[in-house]
Parts: sequence; C-alpha cells; structure tokens
Amino acid sequence: MNRALFRLSLACLIMFGLLLINVNYVQAFESSSLANRPGNARTFDEQFTFQRGSIVADGVGGPTTIAESLPTGTSTSGNTTYQRHYPDGAMYAPITGYDSIYGSTGVEAAYSKYLNGTAPGLEVQNLISLLSGKAKQGATVNLTVSPKAQQAAYKGLLDDGGHQAGVVALNPRTGAILAMASDPSYNPNLLTTLDGTKLNKIDKKLLTEPSQPLLNRAINQTYPPGSSFKIITSSAGFSTGKVAGPQATISAPQPLTLPNGHQLNNDADETCFGGHPQVIQAFLLSCNTAFANIGMKVGGPTLQSYANKFGWNDSNLTIPMPVSPSVIPSISDQSLTAYSSIGQLDDQVTALQEAMDAAAIANHGTIMRPYLLQSVQAPDLTTITTTTPSVLSQAVTSQVASDVQSMMVQVTQNPDGTAYQTAGPPAVGSLVIAGKTGTAENTVSGAGLDDAVFTCFAPANNPQIAVGVIVKGGGFGADAAAPIAVKIIEAYLGVH
Amino acid sequence: MPHGRRRTELLMLAFAVVVVLFAYANVGFGLNGKLPAGLAEYGLAFAAIVLVAHFAVRKLAPWADPLLLPLAALLNGLGIVMIYRLQQSGRNGNPGIEISTMTPSTTAAQVMFSALGVAAFIAVLFFIREVRVLQRYTYTLGVAGLILLALPAIPGMPNSTVPGTGAKIQIGIGGFTVQPEQFAELALAVFFAGYLVSKRDVLALAGRRFLGIDLPRARDLGPVLIAWGASLLVLVFESDIGTSALFFGLFVAMLYIATQRTSWLLIGILLFVVGAYAASKLFSHVGVRFDVWLHPWVGDNPTHNAYQTVQGLEGLGYGGILGTGLGHGQPYWTPLVQSDFIMTAFGEELGLTGLMAMLLIFGLMVERGLRAAVAVRDPFAKLLAGGLAFAIALQVFIIVGGVSNLIPLTGITTPFLSQGGSSLLATWALIALLMRISDNARRPAPQPIQDEGMTQVVRAG
Repeated sequence: MNRALFRLSLACLIMFGLLLINVNYVQAFESSSLANRPGNARTFDEQFTFQRGSIVADGVGGPTTIAESLPTGTSTSGNTTYQRHYPDGAMYAPITGYDSIYGSTGVEAAYSKYLNGTAPGLEVQNLISLLSGKAKQGATVNLTVSPKAQQAAYKGLLDDGGHQAGVVALNPRTGAILAMASDPSYNPNLLTTLDGTKLNKIDKKLLTEPSQPLLNRAINQTYPPGSSFKIITSSAGFSTGKVAGPQATISAPQPLTLPNGHQLNNDADETCFGGHPQVIQAFLLSCNTAFANIGMKVGGPTLQSYANKFGWNDSNLTIPMPVSPSVIPSISDQSLTAYSSIGQLDDQVTALQEAMDAAAIANHGTIMRPYLLQSVQAPDLTTITTTTPSVLSQAVTSQVASDVQSMMVQVTQNPDGTAYQTAGPPAVGSLVIAGKTGTAENTVSGAGLDDAVFTCFAPANNPQIAVGVIVKGGGFGADAAAPIAVKIIEAYLGVH
Repeated sequence: MPHGRRRTELLMLAFAVVVVLFAYANVGFGLNGKLPAGLAEYGLAFAAIVLVAHFAVRKLAPWADPLLLPLAALLNGLGIVMIYRLQQSGRNGNPGIEISTMTPSTTAAQVMFSALGVAAFIAVLFFIREVRVLQRYTYTLGVAGLILLALPAIPGMPNSTVPGTGAKIQIGIGGFTVQPEQFAELALAVFFAGYLVSKRDVLALAGRRFLGIDLPRARDLGPVLIAWGASLLVLVFESDIGTSALFFGLFVAMLYIATQRTSWLLIGILLFVVGAYAASKLFSHVGVRFDVWLHPWVGDNPTHNAYQTVQGLEGLGYGGILGTGLGHGQPYWTPLVQSDFIMTAFGEELGLTGLMAMLLIFGLMVERGLRAAVAVRDPFAKLLAGGLAFAIALQVFIIVGGVSNLIPLTGITTPFLSQGGSSLLATWALIALLMRISDNARRPAPQPIQDEGMTQVVRAG
C-alpha cells in the first residue's frame, strides 16, 4: 500500500501547491487591481485615512501652505480621517485646483502621484513607514509661486470692479510662475466634503453659474490681444529686416486705406507724428496704421511664424496643467493681415502668453519654459525632484529683443507714452517698467467697453518679473490692466 | 536505541505557546495600543491545556510523532487569537464594525472548546492503546457514522440550519448546537478502513482489462456507489456541498490506497464530476456556487450571492504581501469571517507571508500523518492514517481554495481555526488517532531479555 500512499502524498503536495500559487496570485499580483475596484469597502475607507501631501507656495514671501490634509475624526477602521483644506481658498484655486472624492483638478491632479506617495522614488519611503508601523504620508509639492505676487494679483483682480480677468507673472530668467490668478474664482474648500450627495449639489451649482467660476482665466481662456500684439509685429519687422530699427521712419497716415478699400483708423482717429513717425514713436503712442503697414510689409505667414516662435499656436504647452493655445491665424490677404498685426480680427491670447511675450523680450529673446513645480519633498524631508529651468524657444535675437525693449521703456517713461500715467514715474517713481498696453475692440463683450490688456516686465535694466494682465470689458489697457501689473511688480520687488 | 523525542515536542510546544501569546498581545496593540485584557488568563489557560496534552502523550503514547501536537496547538492558538480579534471589532471602544454573529463570550467559549478538544485527544489516547482494536467495530462505527450524518436532515430536528448559510448540518442539544458530521467523518474513516482492509484483495484483483485499465467487477462497484449516493443525499437534504465532497473524496482516496488500482480513482473522479454537474443543474444553491466562482465581480452589493466571496478576495488583496498587522485590517466587512472565511482574515492581517506559513503548517501536519501511515505495518492502521491525513489536506484545499476562489466555494470548517466546538473536538480526536498510529509504528519491538544468566552468545561470521 506504500506505493499508493506515496502517490497520495504527491496529490496532497499538488493541492497545497495550487493553494499557494493561488494566494500568491490574489495577494501579490491582483492586490492593486483589487484595491482599485470601485466599491472596495476597505480602500474606500483608505482614501480618507491617508494624509495627502501639502502644496506649498515657496516663492518670494513664502513658504506658505496653500493646500493641506487636516485630521477630522476617526474612521470605522479606527484610523484618523483627513479632509483637504485650502487656507487661502479662492486666491490660489487656479493653481491648486481641488481634490474631491470624485476627482481632482489643477496641481492636485497634475502632481497627484507625489501628493499621494505613489511616484517612483517614494516607494522606499513607503516601505520604511510600512515596516516601522508609521502611517503612510504623501510628499510635499513646493511651487514656484510667490505669495506676495499672488496676493497682489488676486487683490488687484478683485478691486477691478467685477470684471472677468486673468493674470500671470513669470520670472523671465527661468520661466518660474510667480503668480496666476483668475477672477471670478471659487472656494475649493466647498468641494472637499466627504459627503457624495452634498458634493454633487455643489459641483452642479458651480458648473451652471453664469460667471463660470471654475474657468481658469489665466491659462484656459483667450481674449483679443489688441495693441499688445505690436510687440510681435515689431519683432517680426526688425528680425526680417523689413524695418531697419526703432529709429526708422514708417508711414502712418490717418486713415490708412487698405487694398480692399476699407479704412483703418488710429485710436480716436488721432494723427501720428504727422503721419511719418519713427517706429519707436508709433509704438509709444500705439499708432495702429504704422503697425498695420509693418504687418503688411512682413506678410501674414511670416508674421504667424514669428508669433509661433513666441509660443503662440502651441497646443501642447503644459505647466503642468494644459494651457489653451493663443491663436494668430495664417493670413495671405494683405488687408486682413493689417488687422491681425494690430491684434484684432481673429487673434486670441491667454494671460500666460502675454506674460511670455514680455518675458521673451526681457530675457534677450529667449523664452524659458513656464513651470510651477519647484521641488518635491518626501515625508522625511529629502528632496525627490527639482525642476531645472529649460529653454522653450529662441523668439528673436538678443539685438532685436533690446530694440523692442527700448520701445517698451518709452511706453511708460515718455510723457506721451500710453502707460506713462499708470505705470510710469507718476505711479511708480524711479522703478522702470517696460510694457505695452492693449485695448481690444470687443464686440462680443457687449458691455460696450473694450478688453484691457497690459504686458510688461521690470526692472527694465535687470528684469526679474514679467506680467501679463487681461481684464475683459475693463476699457483702456493703461487704465484697467496696467495698475494691476504695477501692484504685482511692487509687491514682488518689495518697493513701496 | 530509538527514543520518543518528547523533549523535542515540549520545546516545539513552548515555541507554539510563545508565538500564540505574542500574536494575542499584538491584537491588543493593533486595536487600541494596549495589552489586551485577559492576556494572563487566556495565556495561562492555553499553556496549561497544551502542557496537559504533552504530559498525557508522555504517559500514553511516548513514541508518538513529536511534531503533530505542537502543530495542532499552534493552529488552535492562532484560531483563538483571530476569534478574539474579530470579536473585539467594534466592541469595547475598539475600531471596526461589530460582528453581529459573534457574542462577547465567543472567545471564552472557544478556549473552553479547546480544553474539551484536548480532553477528547487524551480520551482517545487513553481508551485506544492499539489502533487495531477499532477494526472490531468496523460496521458499528459505519452505522453510527451514517446516523450522525443523517441526524440534521431528520424533519423536526431543532436548530438544524446554520444561521446565515442555509446548510442543515447541526442539531440543538440543550443550549448548544452540535455539528454531528464532524464526528461522522472520524467514524466513517474507521469504517472505510475496516471495510476496505477486509475486501481489498477482491477489489484489487477481480475484474478485466479494458482499454489498458483494470476494471472492477460490476458487483464490486456496490460500496463505491453507496458512498457516492450517501454523499449526494447529504448534498441534497442538508445543502452541504463541502462535506459531501469531503466524504466522497476521503472514500475514493482510501479505496485507492487499499487497492492501488488507478481505475477506482478514475471511476471516483468520473462519478464526482457527473454528480457535481448534475447537482449544479438540478439544485439552484449548487448552481449559484458555480456562477459565483466563474463571475464573482458582478456581485458588488451586499444582497448579491458573490458578496461574501468578493469581500474575502478584497480582504486578501488588502493584506497584500506583508499584511496589515493584527488588528489593523478590516476583516469585519466579510460576512461570517469567523467561520468559513477565517483564512481570509489571516490573509488580510498577516499577509501573503502569514497565510503561506499557515498553509505550510497544515501541509506539515498532513506530511506527519502520511509518514505515520507509511511507517506503520498493520494494514488497517496504515489505511486509517493515510485516510485521515488526506482528509485534513482535502478539507484545507476545499475551504481555502473556496475562499480564495480557486474552486467553487463550499461551506466547510477550517480545521482548528474556525469558530465552533464540534470541529475542534473532532479534529483533536483525529490528531490523537494519528499520534496513536505513529506511536504504534515507532514503538520499538519488545527487547529480548539481555541478561540470560551465563549463556554465552556467539556471533557467527
């Protein structure tokens, strides 16, 4: 009978072998897919009992925690439950986004793998906390955002009289985003409730509100750039050699009769230095007919290719949130090119692109890739990753950049400049801001007032901050947009 | 000079007690950061129980296998620890959800049943000095086994249905419920062994060859068909698929050991497959088990049949490789986790690592049983030991395979671990039988008296 017993032992061995293989499959291989199954009671509990990492604004005036997980109670499993909290609420909402039980946006979504501790590089940390019995923790995400600049930006937008507006401030040397504000904004704390029904109700209300508070007007909404586009037109003119330089004379009649017979006017139909200004004079007064002429000399397709070098028409840009592309269409018709070269017709721009235009001029023609992530810090305070600034593109040569810069300085420093009163010596004293106003005729806004745009950088001789501001229906760029930019610059540089 | 290795047994027992006490303390730390109440009482009680068992073995079966008792004690102890952990869930200010099918006295009852189990263990060793004597009661035990098996199916039997399962496998006696099938397993194993030993020559030799297989005579098919029919009756009248499969598997395995004829194995497997397929088509509760096995993920809500299986699997997955640690998991989501699904609670809190270790403990136990079967000379004892060892392996395979969805789930207790006294008592008695057989096997033959006066012993060559 022993032979049969040996065979039976073999059968027992196979049975135990099958059990061992199967539990290995379930517990080692299927473990994560089981955890991610909807309705898994154990892991559903876990998403509230995990302390997600903080988001910190680590620029000038910081560090300031702008998103954190705070203990709120105890779950059925006896673990501490956490709820997301945004100390400054709506101010940083366009940056942080929100993290709700149904989904997340903004930095919360883009850097979720760091915040929830699943990124490669955090695995060892997780294993150590597992073995030492400590609760798993997410990593801290440090952003380039400067609390000083952000506070000034958000306050500036709130004080502008209830217009929809977006603003972005960059460090032109690195591309680091210093401020990004949008108005109207929303309070992300409303979306962190652990009550699903309540969340649905709040979410629906925010989505159907006419003012669209969830819309990020700094990077995801485009407006006509108006005269601020003359920076690009001038750059294209100088770079192609079609215009010799800022001192070259250009024809600027009032009105300018276009090839198709239409008449193009200057603002308020004013004459421009007798119709024959230097380019720099036309720039500081923002004469439309002069730049319409330059645009037609350069030609529509070439104008578009220079705009592209500044980052326009780029639908792949992320900061890491996806940025809506700013649009300058390719036009072969000369008459339409004239409108396009003064930022009218179908031109559309984001506040971020406005800031990038100024940053390119400030940084010798080189555009640095805009970014938000400064560094990621593991729970044990070791640094997991830091961002190294990188070049996005070379928009113009250093010479052309310095030519355009000299013109932008005149906009604020020349008593006749469009922004002399609001961004020049009467407003900021000895600080020199280089800028360009834009006032886009906006038939869509309906309120009658134009969209106000201002793009600038400062200090002009050593640029540290570039700002793009768009106020929808704000009126003149110099009056509605420039003061907001000035407040951000002053707060960031610590003057006044 | 062979020796009994009782010192090894004591050492291993001490190790088992230490592991169990650490695990028990661990539950308290895991739940609320404090040493659990009753550590001293339960600890001392458990240590006393296993020590009594050890000294009984020293006295009654000094040559028995030294590993079986420590393995059984370790599993029994870990079972008590897990039942305490589950009973504490959501009670006394501890985290978790209260398990409504457990009472505050469940752990104390389980400790008491363990003591009774060890008493049964000692009783078996005391009353059965030679395992051969059981052969005399072959048919008596066969009838007793069938009666025990049939008891819960008798109409009017009190408390015959296990709450929450639908299985009619218990009877109410006084304030307790007893599951007679647990004891029927032992009685029937003895019956099978006695019957097969006497009939094995006929079963093994008579017959003719067909397609290279030795087929038995038609009239010899009788007993195997009776066993098959009995197990089907259990399935139909008591809704107990697991026990039905266990008994039939035990019979076929013992038939194979006795005859060494592969044809019996093939016939048995064929009958089982036919029976299982027909049952799945004829009886909805069997069909449901197959459906859950094949499509567990459609059942996400608590009213669905697959809910328990899904919770068990999610518990195993939640434990992962290293487990959550005792008291840190959420086993309370799984319905009846303290009985059929207790292995998923171990998998969740001790992880894949702990679960594999426990499976290996069971495997080692089976191996020690089979070793006794190989070592013993008496055919009856050999057959009985082989059958009992295989029964442990099959039972573990059926329930652990079921809760981890390797095979369709069939309700059956996990030896030594599940809450409940009948299973504990019967399993301790089973271990006692295996130890008695290994004691018989390893006992040295009576020594011829060495000193026979001045007789000169001359050794040739």
